[in-house]
Amino acid sequence: MIEVRGVTKRYGPTVALDDVSFRLDRGEILGFLGPNGAGKSTAMKIITTFLAPDAGSVEVDGIDVLERPLEVRSRIGYLPETNPLYVDMLVYEYLEFVGRARGLSGSRLKSRLDWVVDACGLGSVYGKHVHQLSKGFKQRTGLGQALIHDPDILILDEPTSGLDPLQIIGIRELIQGLASTKTIIFSTHILQEVRPVTDRVVIINDGRLVADGHITKLEQDAMERNRIYVSVHAAADDVAPVLSGVSGVATAELLGEHDGVARFEVRTGFDQDVRVPLGAAIHGRGWDLVELHESRFSLEDTFIALTRKTSGGTGVHHG
Amino acid sequence: MDNIKTIFRREFAAYFNSPIAYIFIIVFLVLNCGLFMTPFFLQGMADMRDFFGNLPLFLIFFIPAVSMRLWAEDQRNGTFELLMTLPMKSSEVMLGKYFAAMAFYMTALIATLPIPIMLIVLGNPDVGAILSGYLGALLLGGLYMSVGIFTSGLLKDQISAFILGMLACFVLFLIGIPTVSATIDGWIGGLGSLLAESLGLMGHYQSLQRGVLELGDLSYFLALTVVFLMLNNLWLEGRKHG
Repeated sequence: MIEVRGVTKRYGPTVALDDVSFRLDRGEILGFLGPNGAGKSTAMKIITTFLAPDAGSVEVDGIDVLERPLEVRSRIGYLPETNPLYVDMLVYEYLEFVGRARGLSGSRLKSRLDWVVDACGLGSVYGKHVHQLSKGFKQRTGLGQALIHDPDILILDEPTSGLDPLQIIGIRELIQGLASTKTIIFSTHILQEVRPVTDRVVIINDGRLVADGHITKLEQDAMERNRIYVSVHAAADDVAPVLSGVSGVATAELLGEHDGVARFEVRTGFDQDVRVPLGAAIHGRGWDLVELHESRFSLEDTFIALTRKTSGGTGVHHG
Repeated sequence: MDNIKTIFRREFAAYFNSPIAYIFIIVFLVLNCGLFMTPFFLQGMADMRDFFGNLPLFLIFFIPAVSMRLWAEDQRNGTFELLMTLPMKSSEVMLGKYFAAMAFYMTALIATLPIPIMLIVLGNPDVGAILSGYLGALLLGGLYMSVGIFTSGLLKDQISAFILGMLACFVLFLIGIPTVSATIDGWIGGLGSLLAESLGLMGHYQSLQRGVLELGDLSYFLALTVVFLMLNNLWLEGRKHG
């Protein structure tokens, strides 16, 4: 449905996107993650034909964004990061304007207006000026604008930014409600916002793609990197082979020795809890166990690790 | 055509959604009619020569003030991104905006109609000259407006767009003034008169003001207007690659 191939975009000397590729099938919802300034908005502006890529290509529903931009635009509903509202208009005037500009008229326009007002919960502000609306209602109006022509594809750039928790839940539920019929890309810099809505994520940082896959898979990968910290009152050279000898232990690395206490970082295979056998092995030697604890790598840690300003391309890729 | 109409309706209404439109029209009427009425009563002649004579200079301020918001406001509000991702050509959005601004200017012109009506009632003016004078006012405004919409696209700030538009219109006005073209001729022989004949607007405008309808004058205004609109569209298309 959406195919991004090797897209690069520069603003003068700044590289906003560097060879980014990913694809999205019909009916999928993609959480587009990355810290502020990572290039999320630029990517979305290219998919919606607002900007042209310097290199690479984007196809929406099999149509190239550079060759036939108008056809691409008619398939997409787009909510840019800066909510594009005409504050001098009434809510229904604004929605009607966008509807007409997207080729709706007559009874079709009327029925779509009714649907949007209902779906976005705009009934109470229908006849108000846009500038009178609260932030939450403004965002709903922006979303209504993106939905007015019943597009197959929705591109939402930070739809929940600046909203209070209740409003965020409202927008989230709205997106979830649309999930069954539409292909959706929504961007955010907050990981927790993705999880309730979708499993599929693309993470970019500094204009580069650093992860593409499913949250559950990324989380499993993160858990594989679980570490156990062990401190033993014994000589490091004696302890190391004992720790390595415990079944399930992949590596045991000496972190330091202090006051006769050796501290190790033990890595294990996926989802194996070796704390009990480790304790037993140390106890069997008659050593005093000073510390034994597991440090779980959450997806949060992975996200932070992936999106930390990196110079090298230490990305994890998963199809 | 439907697309241009949709944009036109939104943009024309936008002028009247704030009190600025009414202030503009009142200023237009007060200044224009004030400037005209002062000598009118002294001369005691039933014509509008002075009214139209003031316009080239007066519109240099008025038209860029009308056109400055056309793109600059959208760029600032983020609605520019909405307009440029609608399933219509950028030229259609541009023409919708241009025609809306022109319709607003025409509203101001129509508000001056009591003057010719008064002249017809009280005296015996040359109606042909008045009609061609209004046509000249429309064409002149159309040209300034195309300059104004172009400069509005170049800048995100409305005031800067206003000043740049004013300057550009002023240059078009100046190079058609005989004293200016004579001065330029003094520096580089023939350049001043060449510029005045090819680009200067005063010669073309004055013949319309006198009631002379010539194809050359009409096509001068229309051609130069189209040139600036095309420049605006080039900017809209090229912006994507910026």
